[in-house]
Parts: sequence; C-alpha cells; structure tokens
Amino acid sequence: MRVLSRAELGAWLDALAVEKALLAPTEVESVVLYRPVQSSAEIAPLQGNASRPVLSIKEAFFPPTERLLLIGKTTGPGNGTGGQFRLRETLPEGEQIVFGVRPCDARGMRALDALFLHTQPADPYYARRRENTTLIGLACAEMGPSCFCKSVGGGPDDPADVDLMLTETDKGYVVQTVTEKGRTLLAGLELREIEGEMPRSALNEPVPIPDMLAWPPHFQDAFWEQSSERCLSCRICAYVCPTCRCFAVRDEALPSSQGEECYERIRCWDSCAGDAYRRIAGGHNPRPEKGQRLRNRYFCKFYYYPQQYGPVACTGCGRCIEACPVNIDITEILAHLVTG
Amino acid sequence: MTHAAAIRGKARELLQTGQVECVLGYETGSRGRVRPAFIYRPEEVERLVWNQACTHNLTTYLPAKLRPTKPGQTPRHVAVVVKACDSRAINVLLAENQFTRDQVHVIGVVCDGIVEGAGFERIPESGAAPPPALQRRCQRCDDRVPLVYDTRIGEPPAEHPLAENLPGDAELDRLEAMTPAERAGFWLAQFDRCLRCYACRQACPMCNCPTCLYERDDSLWVGMGIGSSEKRTFHLGRAYHLAGRCIGCDECERVCPMNIPISLLNRKLAKEIELAFGYRAGLAPVPGPLVTVLESGEVKP
Repeated sequence: MRVLSRAELGAWLDALAVEKALLAPTEVESVVLYRPVQSSAEIAPLQGNASRPVLSIKEAFFPPTERLLLIGKTTGPGNGTGGQFRLRETLPEGEQIVFGVRPCDARGMRALDALFLHTQPADPYYARRRENTTLIGLACAEMGPSCFCKSVGGGPDDPADVDLMLTETDKGYVVQTVTEKGRTLLAGLELREIEGEMPRSALNEPVPIPDMLAWPPHFQDAFWEQSSERCLSCRICAYVCPTCRCFAVRDEALPSSQGEECYERIRCWDSCAGDAYRRIAGGHNPRPEKGQRLRNRYFCKFYYYPQQYGPVACTGCGRCIEACPVNIDITEILAHLVTG
Repeated sequence: MTHAAAIRGKARELLQTGQVECVLGYETGSRGRVRPAFIYRPEEVERLVWNQACTHNLTTYLPAKLRPTKPGQTPRHVAVVVKACDSRAINVLLAENQFTRDQVHVIGVVCDGIVEGAGFERIPESGAAPPPALQRRCQRCDDRVPLVYDTRIGEPPAEHPLAENLPGDAELDRLEAMTPAERAGFWLAQFDRCLRCYACRQACPMCNCPTCLYERDDSLWVGMGIGSSEKRTFHLGRAYHLAGRCIGCDECERVCPMNIPISLLNRKLAKEIELAFGYRAGLAPVPGPLVTVLESGEVKP
C-alpha cells in the first residue's frame, strides 16, 4: 500500500490548487459544499465519516445555470434591415480537480455520462468539463444513517468511478491509482510504501431494491397519490441528487449596447417535482397532480432511465432523504415496490 | 388523556359524523421522523401523533384541499391540527378569502414549543436528557394557545409568559446594527447559496399565488437563471410580498437545504410593519390584508 501522510496530502493539494482550479468540501455557514479553494486549510474536516456535502459533485459538470450561446445581431446596410443573427457557442474553459469525492457521487457520473456523453449527440459543455476534470475520491469509513450505496451497486469504498482513491488509515491516506488521469496527477509525488491491510468500510443493512419488472404493475397504484399528499412540490430532491439532470433552456436579454451580443441562451436545473415542469405551449399540463409527479421521479430513476440509457439513476447517497422537509423517503418507496 | 389521544378522538368523531372529508395532522414517518398526515377514514386516526417535533405548518395545505375540484361543487370541509403560530396563518388566509371559516374545523393544540431538528430527526423521547433545545422561534414565542380553534387540545397555562421575560431577537439586533452596505453584503452572501429550489415558497402558507411572479415563463422581470441577481430579486421580492402577512412559523427557514436565514428577512419586515402601523399579521380574522382594508365609504370591487 502506498500512503500519504496528512501533512503531505495538505502540501500536495496546496500545490495542485496553484496549477488548477481545486474544488473541495468547504463549510459555508454550517453547510458543507464543494467550493473552489486556494489552499487545503479551507477544506472542511475529512476524518472518519464527515458528513457529505449537501450538493453532489454534479454541479461541477452540470452547473445550476450555464450559458450555452451568445446571440448577436448585425444590422444591415441603410435603414438597418436585413441584418443577420450570429450565434457564438461558449464552451467552458480550464481544468479542474475535485477533491473529497464520495464514491456515491462518483458513481452518479456514470448515470450522467450515459445521457450527456454516450447518447448521441454528446453534450459539448458537459463533455468539455468531464474531459478537463480529475476526481480525487475519498472512501467513507462507514455508511451514514441514510446511505444505501451498497444496495444499488456501489459501495462506501468503491474506487471504480474516480481517478484516484484515498482511504484514511492511522498511517495516513492510502492512495489507489485508478485511471491514467489519476496517475498524471500523482506525477512527482513521493508515496511511502507500507505493509498492512486495506481498511474495510462498515456497511449498513441493505435496502431492498425492486426488480425492474416490479415497476409497471405499480403505475396505477393509489400509493403515489397517498405518498404525494404531503409533498410540497419543491425541487430539493432533484437538486441535491447526484443523477437528476433535467434542465430548462431559455434565451434571455443581456445588458449590452447595440451591435454587441444582446441575448444569451442559458440552461438551468429543473425538476419534475415542480408543478410547471411538463406544462406545454398553450398551457396544457399533462402531469398536473402531485402523485403523477412523484411517480415519475421514481419510475425515472429505476425504470425509464435504465431502459433508455442503461444505469439506474440512484446511487444511494441518501441526500434526498435528509433534505426532504416532509419525510418523503426513497427507501420507503422502494420497500413498497418490493412488498407490493 | 394525552394530546395525541384527544386529537385522535376528535378526528374520529369528525370523520364518523361526516363533518369533514379529511383531517390534516401529524404522524411518525420513516426513521422516526414526524411528518404531515392526511387522514380520511376513522380507522386511520391511530396514525395521528402529537409531540414537540410537530413542526410543519399544516395550514399551507388548506387552500388546495378546500378548493372545489369541479365547478358547482358544494364547499369542502377539512379539519386541521394547528399550533398557536399556525393558527395565525388561518386568520390571514381567512382575511384573504382563501376559504371560509365554516370550511375548516380547527383543532388547536396548546403548544410547549417545537424542538430543533424536528421533521429531520427522530422524535426526542419526553424526559430525554439533555432535553433537546427549542427552536429559536419558540424561545421567543408568547402565544402558547391557538388564537382560533373549534376544538382546543390541552389547558392554557395558568401563568402566561410575559413578553418582557422572553429572549430578544439577537439575530435581528445584529442585522440592524449593520450599516446598509454591511447588510447588503450579508444578504448577498446568504443568497449566494440559494438554488431556487423554491422549498421556502412551497412550505409557506402565504405563498399561494397560482403562478409565482418569479416563475412565469413570460416574465421579463426575473430571468430563469440561478444567478445572484435572480436570487436576490426572488428573496427580496418574496419578503415584500409577505410583509404584513408572514405569521412567523419560520417553515421557510427550516426547509431551506442551504441554511439561508430566510425568516430573518420576514422578521425585519414584520417589525417595521408593527412600528409603522401597529399591526401584527394573523392576530384576528376580522381585518383584511394590511394594505387593502377598505374604510367606510370606499366601494368594494
């Protein structure tokens, strides 16, 4: 096993922060979020099973608001008619490193990749960020009270979806190199070789996960309406989720002088829990009831998304369980599907 | 009889006699967390609980629950469990004609205050050591008895806590001591974390516009972006819309996943309204909304 001491890790991160944008868990007013840091001293405590950030690393690849295009107009000769519109794509620039990535969040990238990268046409904005980002994972010593990563195929120490994996031991952080990107990041770093066993993460009791075939018979289940009555139709569950990836697109005016680019096309996070999510031109809303929207959320995660894109759109991070103000609990929903 | 038993008894009676179609109360959900419950049948009343984790303001569900589902329908009737703070929301909703008084059977519970973590954590055992801290709003609250109810659960305290013995609002004092520039900096830093998830708005009984100004597809006032100017406009605009209407249940702040002190804005405006007009929202059902009371001689629209 090759290890880095705590002090060496800090020095390494400090050096990385000089070269590239470094995002790491940071405590902002008692909320832990991935934020750009200038030095390792700004990083929230990592020991043991420090609570995961409120938002997943999704925002580093799929930000809450992103500009897609700038739209300008050239005026024609004479009275100014006959001008043309000019579109300019604004692709994200710069490399970034995300430190302290939990395995559940890293696994969420599989679900996002399936849509944004592996379904043609690939999304150029997402693809650029994905290419320019290195993930430094951090194994969880134990699963948190609402975690069920192991039940949906992941694990608290699963290194499969990061570039480098760190595991805390009493002798420092054990470093596993997973990808070529990870190897490049380690270049020039002296790792100490030590003898010992890799620590194993403590696991929770598994959560029952219904078979995919169990979903269609529950489409008309009164359970959805009953469970949704207390739903506030807010968007917390989707926004904290590492795999929810719906967005809305709109052109908005920019403050600009004539002749310059005066509109931008943006995309912003959206959520199927919101009552206007499916409203269409003319005002018709094919999913007006809360129960229909709640049903869609879980059908999407465990039935539609796997069918259309491959991966299950849930990594068992448990964030939606912790953040829901009215105790809508994904494990309770899954248990209902299992027991019928 | 415990408060829970009294609530269940009343709920059973109201459902059995057909006085209401539904009782909105509290139940213990997954992981021991308290959550809103919608009870339709007498045999379901055993789900209802009462304890110091019953934090949700259930009046937020009333307008939708009482709206006719088809034209010409006879008025719907429900019962709702309220605390003193929640009962003030009923008064505001009545003043704003969201429903009529006879449509709601108010089960008002004499409240000992709600604890921190309510709704998100397991219910604390009564007599637990150390006892869980009360929410800050409850530490400042001088209304233990609901202001409006049809059935009261619990006895009013013999000694009413006097306002002068209550702790002041240290956060508000700190805010008011800031210069305008410091205050702007404070709020922009807070709003920076906002995701526009709208949980604050959705949890709020007073935020009941059919289409929110900040979420209109055709709005030229507020863009769709989750950026600093949109977030500032949303929060400040919402605060103005709640001035003279917010009853201080602080659900907006409890539900915020980003710990934005949203209720502090509302408290500041409530204080200004009280200073300027001597008015506190929800104390009585009679006066209309603060800025639209029609004096004699003015014609109703």
